[in-house]
Formats: sequence, C-alpha cells, structure tokens
Amino acid sequence: MLKTENPTRPASIDQLLDARLIAQILRLDLTSRKIFAGKLKGERRSKKRGESVEFADHRPYVTGDDLRHIDWNIYARLDRFFMKLFLEEEDLSLHIVLDASGSEDCGTPNKFLYMQQLAMAMGYVGLVNLNRVAITTLGGRMRTPEAEDGPRVPQGLDDAEPVTHQIRDLRGRRRVQDLARFICAVEPEGDSSFGACAKRIALSRRGRGIMLVLSDFFMKEGYEDGLRLLVGRGYDVFAIQILSPQETDPAGPDGIAGDLRLRDVEDADLADVTVSAPLLKKYKQTLAAYCTGLRDFCARRDMGSLTVRSDTPIETLILDYLRQRGVLR
Amino acid sequence: MTWGTPGIAAIVAGIAVPALVILYFLKLRRRTVEVSTTLLWRQAIQDLQANAPFQKLRRNILLLLQLLVLGAALFAVAQPRVESDQAVGERHIILIDRSASMAATDDDGGRTRLERAKAAATDIVENLREGTLFRRERADEAMVIAFDASSEIVSQFSSDKVALKAAIDSIRQTDAPSAIGEAFRLAQAQRPTRVITDNAGGQTAGDPMEVEGLVGGVPHVFHLLSDGRLSGVEKVRPESQDQFLYYAVGEPDAVNVGITGLRAERGYEDPVELTVFVGLQSTDTERRTVDVELLLDGAPAAIKEVALPPASPDGGAEAAPATSGVVFQLGQPGGTLVGVRLRTDAADALLADNEGYLVVPPARQTGVAVVTRGNLFISEALSGMPLSVLDTFTPEEFEAARAAGDVDRYDVVVLDGWLPPPDAGGRSLPPGRWLVMNAVPGPPLGVDDAGPAGPTAIIDWSRVHPVLRDVTLDPLRIGRSRLVTVPAESTAITLAESDLGPAILELSSADVRAIMVPFDVAETNWPFDVGFVVFLASAIDYLGKDATAAAELGGASRQFRPGHVLTARLPQSAADVRLLPPGGLDRVPLVPAPDGAVVFGPLRQRGVYEIAWRGPAGPTDVTEGTRVSRFYAANLLNPEESAIGARSTLGLANVVVQAAGVGSTTTIRNYWPHLLLAALAVMMIEWFVYNKKVHV
Repeated sequence: MLKTENPTRPASIDQLLDARLIAQILRLDLTSRKIFAGKLKGERRSKKRGESVEFADHRPYVTGDDLRHIDWNIYARLDRFFMKLFLEEEDLSLHIVLDASGSEDCGTPNKFLYMQQLAMAMGYVGLVNLNRVAITTLGGRMRTPEAEDGPRVPQGLDDAEPVTHQIRDLRGRRRVQDLARFICAVEPEGDSSFGACAKRIALSRRGRGIMLVLSDFFMKEGYEDGLRLLVGRGYDVFAIQILSPQETDPAGPDGIAGDLRLRDVEDADLADVTVSAPLLKKYKQTLAAYCTGLRDFCARRDMGSLTVRSDTPIETLILDYLRQRGVLR
Repeated sequence: MTWGTPGIAAIVAGIAVPALVILYFLKLRRRTVEVSTTLLWRQAIQDLQANAPFQKLRRNILLLLQLLVLGAALFAVAQPRVESDQAVGERHIILIDRSASMAATDDDGGRTRLERAKAAATDIVENLREGTLFRRERADEAMVIAFDASSEIVSQFSSDKVALKAAIDSIRQTDAPSAIGEAFRLAQAQRPTRVITDNAGGQTAGDPMEVEGLVGGVPHVFHLLSDGRLSGVEKVRPESQDQFLYYAVGEPDAVNVGITGLRAERGYEDPVELTVFVGLQSTDTERRTVDVELLLDGAPAAIKEVALPPASPDGGAEAAPATSGVVFQLGQPGGTLVGVRLRTDAADALLADNEGYLVVPPARQTGVAVVTRGNLFISEALSGMPLSVLDTFTPEEFEAARAAGDVDRYDVVVLDGWLPPPDAGGRSLPPGRWLVMNAVPGPPLGVDDAGPAGPTAIIDWSRVHPVLRDVTLDPLRIGRSRLVTVPAESTAITLAESDLGPAILELSSADVRAIMVPFDVAETNWPFDVGFVVFLASAIDYLGKDATAAAELGGASRQFRPGHVLTARLPQSAADVRLLPPGGLDRVPLVPAPDGAVVFGPLRQRGVYEIAWRGPAGPTDVTEGTRVSRFYAANLLNPEESAIGARSTLGLANVVVQAAGVGSTTTIRNYWPHLLLAALAVMMIEWFVYNKKVHV
C-alpha cells in the first residue's frame, strides 16, 4: 500500500537468493503445458528426435546419416546399420516481464524486492536448465545502464514512448551473474504504460516459451489490452499478481488510518479518504472483485494466473504454488 | 425581555461566531500518504458516497450544532431577563447622600465619600436575594434615591440588580447642602396608605378608611448612606415595622477648612469702596493658618493670612468647628466678579468649600430731577443726599428736555405740583420713576381726585415698607389735605392713611413706579420734622434702585446656593438666551417668560453661572458685541456641610440610629457569568486546537 521508505535495493545475487533457496530450486526445471520447439538444443525433451543422450528409438541407416549415431553394437550382432535415435532436447525461452513502475516500490515487505527475488529465482532455474532467459522491465530505470545486455530496445525520444529495459538471450549457468546484475540495476520508477510496453514486447520477442508477467496489475488504463497482446504467438503466459499485505488489508500493521489524502505514486492523483469501517469493507470488496476479474480474464485466455502477497515466503511460492500450477516441476 | 450585558455579549459574539465559522470553512487537514495506486480507493469512495445519505449536510449539521451551543452561551452572557409577576421579598430603600460634604476625600484611597457610598450601595444591591433558577423564592426589591437639598428617585423598586447598579453608578456629586426630609417623604410616598376597616361589633364590614400618615405595605428596610451631615433628620419618622440602617461614610475626625460666609458691600457714602467679608470655619483640632486669596475677575488682588483657632470638642467625640473671618477693603468702582480662594498646605478633606464667588455690580448713585415752580423744602432736603445728579427744572424746561430725550440720566423725577400732560395712550404718568407731590395722577394708573379737604393727621402707615419703615408719621399734621379715592381696578397701594383717606400711596405698573403724596407739604409741619428728609431719602432710594435693583446692588440677587433655583429677570426683548454653567462647555438654552424671567435649576454645582442674551443690556450687565452677559454665583457657604466630620449616630424623630459603617457587609457574588465566559473561551480554544490538527 504505502510507498516503502528507503526500500532495500539488492546489490548482488546473494541478496536476491540465499544458498538454501538455490539448493532447493536447483532440482527444478521449467515446464510448460505446451511443449515448444526451441532454436537451440536444450535440455528439454522435444517432440523432435535429436541428439540428446536420451535414447528414443532405432531406425535403419540410410545414406547420408551421421556415422556417429550408428549403433555399433547392433551392427556387431546383426551386421546391419542401425541408427540410434535420441530424443532431441530443446531449449525453452523464459521471458520474465517485470513491472518496474512506481507502484511496485510499495508495501512492507517491498513488492518490487519480492518481484526481483522471484525473477532471479525463476531466471536461475531457467539458466541452469539451459533455457534462454530474457527479462524485460515495464517502466523503471537502470541504475547502471551497462547492466543492460543484448540488443537494446530503442528508446523513443517521445515521452509517450513506453520505457522498457531488457536483457535477453541469456543461456547457461555462466550468465547467472549477468542476470543478477540486471535485476539488481533496475529501480522502479514512474508509470508503466502496460499496454504500449506489451505491444513492444510482443513484437520483439522470438521463439516460444514461457512468459511470466510479474506485476500488481493496478493499471489505470487496464491490464486487459496488454495481456491480450502478450498471450499467443507461442508463449505460455503466466500472470503473477503481487500485492503487499497492506493492500489486501489496509487497516492491518503498517496500514493507514484517519483523514488522509492519498497520492498515487505514479500519476500523483489525489484521493481524500477518511478511513472508516464501511470504507475498508468497500475497499476489500473492490480489491477482491479486481483480483477475481484478473483471474477470470486470464482463465478465459488460457493464461495462468496467481495472486500472491509479498509476505509469502519465496520458497513457498516457488516450491509450492508455481509447481502446483505447472510452471515448474 | 431585557438584556443585562448586551454589550459584552455582542463583543464576544463578534469574535466567537466568525472565528467558529472560519474554522469550519477551513479544509480538513489530511495527511498526505503515497500509495501504490488510488484506483481501488476511488472506486471504493465512489461506491460509498453513492450509497451514503446526506452527503452535503453532514458537516453543516456539525456547524449548526456548534453555532447553537455558541448561541446559547452568548445568550447567557447577555443575561436575558424577563419581567415576571413573581411575588417580591423584602423592600429596600437606598438613600444616597450626594451633597457637597460627600465630596470629601478622607478615605485612604483618595476616594470621595460619594464613591464609597456608591460602592457600599452596590454591595447592598449585590446582597439582595434574587429568585434563582431552581428555587423560585421571592426576590428582594430595592429603590434608589439620591438626595441633596432636593431628592430624586434614581431607580424605582426593582429586583434587577444590573439596572439598580447602573442607577447607583449614575448618581453625580452636587455642591448642594443635604436635607433628608424630602428624600424620606419621597420614599414613604411609594408605600400604600394603610386602610383601616372598621367592622367592630357588626357582621358587615364598614367602609375602608385611610388615615393620613399611616402607611402600610410590606416592611421596608431603609439604607441611608451619608456622612450624617444632614438637616431634617429629626423629622424622619420610620414606621415601627421598618428597619432603618445608617451607614456612616467618612471619618468622624476629618479635617476641613472652608469658607462659610461671603458677602460684599459698597459704602453708602462712597459706593466705590467695596468691602468683602469672608467667614471661615475649621474642624481641625490644631491651630491652623490659611491664606485667603481675593481675586477680582480671576486675577489675584489681595492675600491675607488668617489664623484659625483649634476646634473645641463639645463634650462628645465631635468637635465644634472653630470660626474666624477676614475682611478685604478695596476701591472698585466698576462691576466685578469677586473670588475668594482658600489656600492651605495641611489636610483639607473637602475642596468644594475652598472657593467662593460674588458678583458685584458697578458702584452707582441715583440721579434726581426736581420739577417745581419753586419749593425750598424739597430742594434743600435733597441737596444733602449722596446723589450723582440733582437738577431743578421748571415744568416748561422739563417738557423741553423730555422732548429732546435728555432726561435718561435721571433715575427719579420729583414732580412738585405739576404733572406731565397725558400721552396718546391716556396714561397719566409716562414710564419712569416718579415722586409725585401735591398732584394726583388720574386713572387708570392713579387715583381719583376728590378735591381739597380740611386738616387731618396720619393715623396708620405701613411700617415695613422701605419708604416708611424708618420714619414716624405721628407728629405730622396736615393743614390742608387732599381727598383721594382708590378705584377698585387700580393697583395703587396705600402706604399711609389719614382719618380722611389715603395720604401716601404707591403707584406701580410694568414700567411706572411712583410714590404719591397728594397734599402740599408746605401746608403741613412735615418740612420741619426730620422725618421728612428721611422720607425723601427713602423714597428716592426706593424708587431709584427699585426693590430688586437695590438688592442687586448689594449683589444679593446674584448669589445662589447649590440646590436652589436660579431665577433672573432679563430685559423683555432679550433673545437667544443661553446659560453657561461653571466649567461647562455646553450652553443651555433658556426660554424667557413674557416678562423676561428665566429659571434654571436646581443648581447642582457651585461656581459662576453666566446668562448671555442678545438684546438690550441692563445697567449692570456686561456687553460684548451684540451679546449681553450677566453673571451669577453659586456658593456652598454652609457651615453644616463644611463641618465634615461624619456623624456616628443619627437622631431620628423616634429612634437614634447607630452608624453601621461601610464595608462591613458580607457580599454574595455570582461567579457563574465569569465561568460561562471561561467555558466559552475554552470551547473556542478547543475548537482552535482541533481544527489546527485536522484542518489546513
């Protein structure tokens, strides 16, 4: 709810992921309800037969086949060439869309920190499983611009141009530090203009894979258009709505009370409220309706969705919620 | 409904109501907090507001309630009162002495006795029981009477303490002497007469009967606030059921020196010589020396040191004042304002009696014309008198001089055996002062002439008339008298009567005054009697100065006492008459009666009063441009008032009252109005603090 005073800004991967969590998530791998064809051979069992170590079948040798895949044991026994067929293992794109608008820098625990941790954990899982990992921010600001990697998304001179920062085509364990550096460099700021950013992301992304959208989805212009653009074109979109405890229960600890003038951190919109029991009740009803609306929207468009509070332990989210929902296995 | 303190309430309302409304119209001070989004809040507010009733009214109702509370408090501060027919409790009559001696400042605090008396009277009023809100007992009533020589009801019976206190406060000091009789009668007059019904022995009641001097009604409590220097105390007779309380204001041993007598006289032989007599009085038990300063027209002219002997105790605690006097003699031909001022360095409680003024007209002697064909006795007798002019005319010469308008310098004209011819109006004597001898002016002014008669003698004469009081007419023998009869409509007064009829008469109208001797003195033995000269002198004196003018020359008619009414006779055509009181800036317009008389008073202050008018001037008046001024002096000159020691007992007609003293009464004070004001202030502070917290 409230903008966090002096929010914790992680400086390294150690502050994003602790060793215990790393040990836990090392066992995990990304999954998708849809199996996508990747560009590079990865550790993913593809529908295509390929060159993985996992044996799939034999077939008779035909001219032109790679001699390396002839099963010499069968040739010794049967004196015929058989090709060993392996299951092709493909890489999977993991595209994490991180909402770095000002509204994320709120709440206790800080919502953005939670999103950074989640993004790092998911990115780590993706990288160690040899998937292509990309992170795109919605809005926000880079503390150290060099952390941004890959083809930079052209930043328009026009103010109306949506601000995104991106790092992509990370692959392999070696790039974990790059990923961490990027995540740590992002600072939430300003407006996200979700729709425009989504359009840009949809146009620029490649391949197939999983797209995780981390946001609170409190968008004045609505999240529907953006999500509609992101879904499809080979991506399995999963929307994770992260809310602070104060947003779900304003009267709770670190909440608000009294005669207040609420100022929107993004557009400085003002709302005079006098916190009262009827208003709180009405607020909670409104919030519940909003979250239900998001969930229904996602369900209709074959997207996964999850609403999580920022005080939920990240292990619980990753090891339980996301596994239950089939994002990880 | 009346208001006790509307002014205070209006001031408080003027501050409090706008302050409250302004505080109300301040915007609510809201703490600004930054939140992730206002999206949900806006929806929630909209939903809530759409469903909540009385959106706009909610804050205004609060303001309305606040204003109602404020209004109630303000109304309470204004102390509204409604007159009711509630039965009354005790009736108090507060008599406050405002006479000259009450101006004495023998208090340690420098307050005058009147101020202390007023404070004591306020305490009495404060102690009146009032019908309270919760116990409707009977409220006491009080009446306030202020008195000096005259008395005045300052407040009628009322239980309204605020009005009573305002009435007490309105009492002003005067320089008049005090007399309680009238004040007491005024108080008694408020009571109903006692009605006695005689039904003795009968079944039916007889006629109710009122008895003079018996009064009924509820018992009264008299509070007399005075220093006891009162006249008429012995005639005060309170009813037996009444209570008479005397509060002695002032110290019994107060020291005062004062002027108790002041008079100026011109020498008879030499009117230029003016003698001023000053009488002094001291209540100091020590020997005192004072300087008496004489001022002429405000400028010091002489100063004399006078030793005053110590006042001697006359058996009681009270000292009989010592008296002394001083005389100033000076040559003063013109009219002047004589002032006498007492200067002393030692204690002197009363300052009002340290000054006195006299208006002295210019020295003047009478001019006489004798119109005769030759009368040795008259001319010889008059030649010995102190006259300014004495001329002898034959009738022809006099007629010529009169036609030429040359006779104005003669105050009195002696007509010997000749009368001026009647004028167009048929008047036998023209306006003026005449001594008519051996002639009879006819009606309407005069008398009927019945012709000569035989010898006679005077059998009776007015021994109090100024003309005849110094003579005896017993030796007068008239050889040939003249018979006159006084018509019924005539204003002629017979001063001396012979056995044949009137022998000496006085004729007077508005502008004519004449002494008439119808017989010829040459036919009598009068010229050889000393009485004749005395008669002539008295007649000339009387006619020349006129009855009032004679007194005026001594200054008597220009002297008044505070408490008296100033009366003056101005020239008939005087217009735009105004009176300037002593020390006053506002001239009081006076309307003269047709005969020129003006009345002002009773005089409250000592000092010099000036009456100014536009028109002809009298012989002693001061003319300045078109305006004519005449001065009058009012002096205390009262030994009783100047002996200012407060009396500790008062001997009334039927009881001797001991002084209760002032300031010994216990006082009940209502503090709830102050608490109400405090509550109002606290309420305003509370609102200010609250609004400071929640409003910007």
